[in-house]
Amino acid sequence: MTAAVLQLDGIVKAFGAIKAVDRVSIDVGRDEFFSLLGPSGSGKTTLLRIIAGLETPDSGRVLINGEDVTRLPPYARRLGMVFQDFLLFPHRTVAENVAFPLKMQGAAPAERQRQLDWVLDLVHLSGLEARFPHQLSGGQKQRVALARGLVSRPSVLLLDEPLANLDRELRKEMEIEVRRFQIELGIPFIYVTHNQEEALTMSDRMAVMNRGMLEQVGPKLELYEKPRTGFVAAFVGSANRLQGEIRGIEGTVARIDWGGSEIFGGAPAGAVVGDRVNYFIKSERIAIAPAAAAPMAEGHTRLAAKLRDVIFKGQYSDYIVALDGGSELVVSGPPALEGLKPRAEVVLHWAAEAADVFAAEAT
Amino acid sequence: MSVVETARVSTLGRLWMNRQLRFACLTLPGALFILLFMVAPLMSIVVFSFWRTESYNLISDWNLDNYRVLLGDPTYLTFLWRSTVMAVAVSVICLIYAYPVAYLIAKHGGRYRLILVLLTAAPFLTGIILRVTAIQHILGPIGLINMALTTFGMMPIEALMYSNVASAIGLVYLWVPFMVLAIYLSLLNFNFELLEVSKVCGARPWRAFIEVTWPLNWMGTAIGIVLVFVPTLASSVTPRFLGGVDGALYGTILAHQFGATGTWALGSAMGVVLFVLSLVVIVGIWRAVDLRRSGFTGEQA
Repeated sequence: MTAAVLQLDGIVKAFGAIKAVDRVSIDVGRDEFFSLLGPSGSGKTTLLRIIAGLETPDSGRVLINGEDVTRLPPYARRLGMVFQDFLLFPHRTVAENVAFPLKMQGAAPAERQRQLDWVLDLVHLSGLEARFPHQLSGGQKQRVALARGLVSRPSVLLLDEPLANLDRELRKEMEIEVRRFQIELGIPFIYVTHNQEEALTMSDRMAVMNRGMLEQVGPKLELYEKPRTGFVAAFVGSANRLQGEIRGIEGTVARIDWGGSEIFGGAPAGAVVGDRVNYFIKSERIAIAPAAAAPMAEGHTRLAAKLRDVIFKGQYSDYIVALDGGSELVVSGPPALEGLKPRAEVVLHWAAEAADVFAAEAT
Repeated sequence: MSVVETARVSTLGRLWMNRQLRFACLTLPGALFILLFMVAPLMSIVVFSFWRTESYNLISDWNLDNYRVLLGDPTYLTFLWRSTVMAVAVSVICLIYAYPVAYLIAKHGGRYRLILVLLTAAPFLTGIILRVTAIQHILGPIGLINMALTTFGMMPIEALMYSNVASAIGLVYLWVPFMVLAIYLSLLNFNFELLEVSKVCGARPWRAFIEVTWPLNWMGTAIGIVLVFVPTLASSVTPRFLGGVDGALYGTILAHQFGATGTWALGSAMGVVLFVLSLVVIVGIWRAVDLRRSGFTGEQA
């Protein structure tokens, strides 16, 4: 990572008794697409607003290119920002909306026109300069909002759930576009979202936030493959969450009782027999096979179950299986597995290291 | 019987389905009311303005003398000019006063904002004469301010006693609630988040106001200006109570024609001139509102 463009250092912000952001420190480098992922109310938007200068942190510092901007008002920070509801100026044309930051910064008319042409070309909006926002489609509005954020070539672009109001098709398309802009411009994008798919598609690194705190920060694959907390394991990817109790530990592998079934997983650090654990197994890491054809491997979890339903998703299918105890698991597999019809007897199996196991928090 | 009935109902039903007919039925009562109580009196004023009065009697002798007097005699033009200046001044003062008030209420009033706005209009409950009298008791020679000053051995403020300044203060006090209400209602539909956007885009607060808040609320503001300008232009009671001997305005003279002098025809002509001037102002302000530039799209954002 090159020198950090944006540094957050111990940011704390409370609203009344609620800590919206709690001791958050992050460094974001020049070429990074960085996502802040979290459920609503996790403090990710507040954190973004603190970076933008729309909120002042109670303590901590915000540095942009090494300069402390914590006390600077938003108009002095020269950032770009894209808002969830587009928030275009309804009384201004596309060209006027996009050129607004240049006008506020007092750019010369020739310079203004040059930047405007460049950014409209970048976001494929050339020809729509004279339109008013109400004459645009949702996707076009989003492009205008992006263009307005990028036009002054800011040192950082902040994006607050910019795709949340678009339909699925458009969102897929824009995800790729937004990523393209980031690579072309070579500036960091800070992308706030509650949609893990979006974060996984676009990010280089991401941070998962929960109750104002960072749960985990790292490259997206690391968060996906090696979640460090139960919250991250539950939030990133689609995991089955099982609650069980450790019955035995052999080396690094724990034997866990899950409602009468025996499952295996890596033992959490310092765990002892009798500990209650949260056990996460991602749906695509479970292998499913007809009961007759099931292989058996040492240390692998092996469960007999009955197929309840198959949900066809196109490139893959979700198999909903019911265990004897009545609990259900979701297994992702190839779209049409031979011999798997509802009510078929199946066998599930997965390796101990495929699961993520965490000590259950005392409740 | 029942067959006939059904047929009749369906005929009525069909008539009801006729859009134009239904439109006529629904608008007729209101239209009649306006014709009878607004257009008819106005037309009679226009007609009277071309007649003449003789010993308190209107005589239907068609002529242009009234207008010749109004436009030829500098006295009347002077009063019209004074009223116009007064109306402009009062509108500007009301605007400067009302904007921050409406803004604060709309943005920070929370759940009390309706109450707060209604409170600004509370003096309306007492009637115009009482309100003007109340102002008189504050500004006049034996009013609150000057009494206090003389009690402490200071000179009373001449400008507050029966002058145009006193009239202006009274008129601002009378009409400012309209301006507050008009701007407040406009700001209710204003998305304050746009100000955050403009700040992130590099606009200082005052610049954000000029670029975003003002144009997006210009329509409501314009309505407020009209609501203050027109009654001020025609005001007669306020200048009579507060303006003193030299404070007579066009409206005062106009009222005079229907009272002491009994020259109804001339008074009617003065009314027509006032009406035309008000219309010119309203049309002028209307032309200044570009619907697209005021963010008006005809749809809910």
